[in-house]
Amino acid sequence: MKRLSTLLIFMLALAHGVFANSNTEATESNKAVEVNIFQFKVEIADELQKAARLYESKNPGVKIVIETVGGGDDYGAALRAKNASGNMPDIYNIGGPQDAKDWNSMLEDLSDQPWANNVVGTENVTMDGQLLGLPFAVEGYGLAYNKRIFKAAGIDASKIVDFKSLEAAAVALDLKIKNGDLADEFPLLEAVFEYAAKETWVTGLHTSNIALAQELGSGLTASEAKTIDFKYADGLKKIIDLQGKFSSSSENTGLLNAVDYSTQVDTGLGIERVAIIQQGNWIYGGVKAVDPAVADSLGFLPMPMVGAKEDSIAVGVPMYWSVNSETTDAEKSASKEFLNWLYTSEEGKDIVVNKFFFIPPMKSGYENYPVADPLGRSITEFISAGKTIPWVFMGYPSGWGMDVLGVKIQAYYAGELTWDEAVSQAKAEWANAR
Amino acid sequence: MKTSKLSFGLFVAPCLIAFLLVVIIPTFSGILMSFTDWNGIDANPNFVGLTNYVKAFTDDMVTTKFLTVEFQMPRFINVFLFTAEFAIVSVILINAIGFGLALLVTRGLKGSNILRSVFFIPNLIGGLILGFLWQFIFTKVFNHIGDTYGIEFLKGWLSTTGTGFWGLVIVLSWQMSGYMMIIYIAAIQNIPSSLFEAADLDGANFILKLKNIIVPLVAQASTVGLFLTLSNAFKLFDQNLALTNGGPYLSTQMLALNIYRTAFVMQDFGQGQAKAVIFLIAVSAITLTQMSISKKKEVEF
Repeated sequence: MKRLSTLLIFMLALAHGVFANSNTEATESNKAVEVNIFQFKVEIADELQKAARLYESKNPGVKIVIETVGGGDDYGAALRAKNASGNMPDIYNIGGPQDAKDWNSMLEDLSDQPWANNVVGTENVTMDGQLLGLPFAVEGYGLAYNKRIFKAAGIDASKIVDFKSLEAAAVALDLKIKNGDLADEFPLLEAVFEYAAKETWVTGLHTSNIALAQELGSGLTASEAKTIDFKYADGLKKIIDLQGKFSSSSENTGLLNAVDYSTQVDTGLGIERVAIIQQGNWIYGGVKAVDPAVADSLGFLPMPMVGAKEDSIAVGVPMYWSVNSETTDAEKSASKEFLNWLYTSEEGKDIVVNKFFFIPPMKSGYENYPVADPLGRSITEFISAGKTIPWVFMGYPSGWGMDVLGVKIQAYYAGELTWDEAVSQAKAEWANAR
Repeated sequence: MKTSKLSFGLFVAPCLIAFLLVVIIPTFSGILMSFTDWNGIDANPNFVGLTNYVKAFTDDMVTTKFLTVEFQMPRFINVFLFTAEFAIVSVILINAIGFGLALLVTRGLKGSNILRSVFFIPNLIGGLILGFLWQFIFTKVFNHIGDTYGIEFLKGWLSTTGTGFWGLVIVLSWQMSGYMMIIYIAAIQNIPSSLFEAADLDGANFILKLKNIIVPLVAQASTVGLFLTLSNAFKLFDQNLALTNGGPYLSTQMLALNIYRTAFVMQDFGQGQAKAVIFLIAVSAITLTQMSISKKKEVEF
């Protein structure tokens, strides 16, 4: 027995030694401030690295280490893993009210920052009067369409203002494609839509948001709603059916469950195999890499919800930059300075608009930096016309949008569930999760 | 006596410490976590008793079809059955292919050595890469061939439960057969050549030799082979994640992926941990049963 306890003490001492060592190392390296950034936006990873090097060259003594993990869910899981292993970064991303609540104890109040009164979309990350995040950018999604194909087919996109006119345009375009009228100009064109039902964020978050945003009003109300009525379930069905019926898999919509993001964007819209896809302005860079001429002829059509707003697109903030409140003061202030530089200095503004292709999340100060790409411009037009719907999917219960509703939509496409079953099961799961 | 005990302790200690730190302690803290409602961040989770275990068998009902009868069952059970079905099919296929390949390359044919490496190489590629590689083959290459030659069968792979299932089976078989081949080669080469010489004198043909000499004498290897494939098939995660990610509509989700998604996506770590404990018990029960059954079939020579 005695021997056993000696062994235990020895082991504990050893284990303690291992952990204590790592602690002292961490405090010693604080002389040169190292800011660890953990962010989710894969599209800007390279440009952000370049921006960090530029910042380092101007601010000796500051070292910026960037790590990127993409995708909403994967990022959330990775951040939790970092937290569990005690490697919490200095700057990380939160998505909205749910994240702000979950991470509350580790979020620095940013309301004293120079940009605090100038940013949009703060309602989702304001808690108890504290501003907990700096919005990445303004993003929007709707039905991205190829203006060249519309022009060749003789369809006037400006006339598409509600579901009826959208459906009529789809029918007309479909007929032209099937008759081969456009085959000379667009040899690969085979369908009106391509819908990535495999990516449950496309279906379960984005498409569903068009219905639920108009029922719930804001991300904050969504995050507090104990139950949902799914008031616009019929309108949602119409959009989902339309995108299935006029896709290349119209005869067997179950096949859409294998269509992923790159099939939809790169080998769909990008090579002019289809004319319209439901996506956001973030696809610009990807399409440009496939065919710059196609990328520059893109624009947005509204996503019409029958019974509610029919002429709008969904506009919101994808994620927010946050500063870890549990690091040293030096790291905290260096982190804040870097974010401040990125969004308010002239160099930073140029990077944000012309390198990241972001629509700046600021009310003013970006007058000299007009939005660089046609999709972004299309969104700013919708915004200035007031034709927008908020993003509420960040207020859905964790995993509900993608792993419940998105999956039910797949089952609906495959004929495993009727629409009513899918909707009622999704509603029950929402109530269950809250 | 005393010194030998001390030195025994000193020699065992490093291993024991590592084992305690990375296996025993996490296992127990994991079991402890399964009784809480931890969300992955909160420093003070609540103790919820057996709720998580009850929830695993009652929550999230899905409709499944068995033959023609439709009925409801909790997703966790459904996932368990899918995984078991997958494990049975892949264990049979992998061992059959592995044994077949082993027979092929031990017959002294030209190029046997090259063939051995060729069959083994898939095993050296990581599961994630394999999954993405085969995803490309199934969804793009198959589709293209199907389109070009008008073969309906090749279209829309991974978009249905059936093709997703067989896709997973194909990937795991492709990956693991080579490894099983190595195990069976070792066993076949261990058979004393005197047995074959005696059989030759008696005029036995290859089929007879296979049935009466090779199969009984590689039973020992098949115990190991079955164990490895069975536990691997049950624990499969990366190929599942990369190839289908559970899609379509979560119908090809296997146990490990279900547990991961419960914990990290639904952010219900307590529930995920409870499922993991059930998983641990079930997999140990199944593999131990298999071991004891196949041990009885082994023959000494």
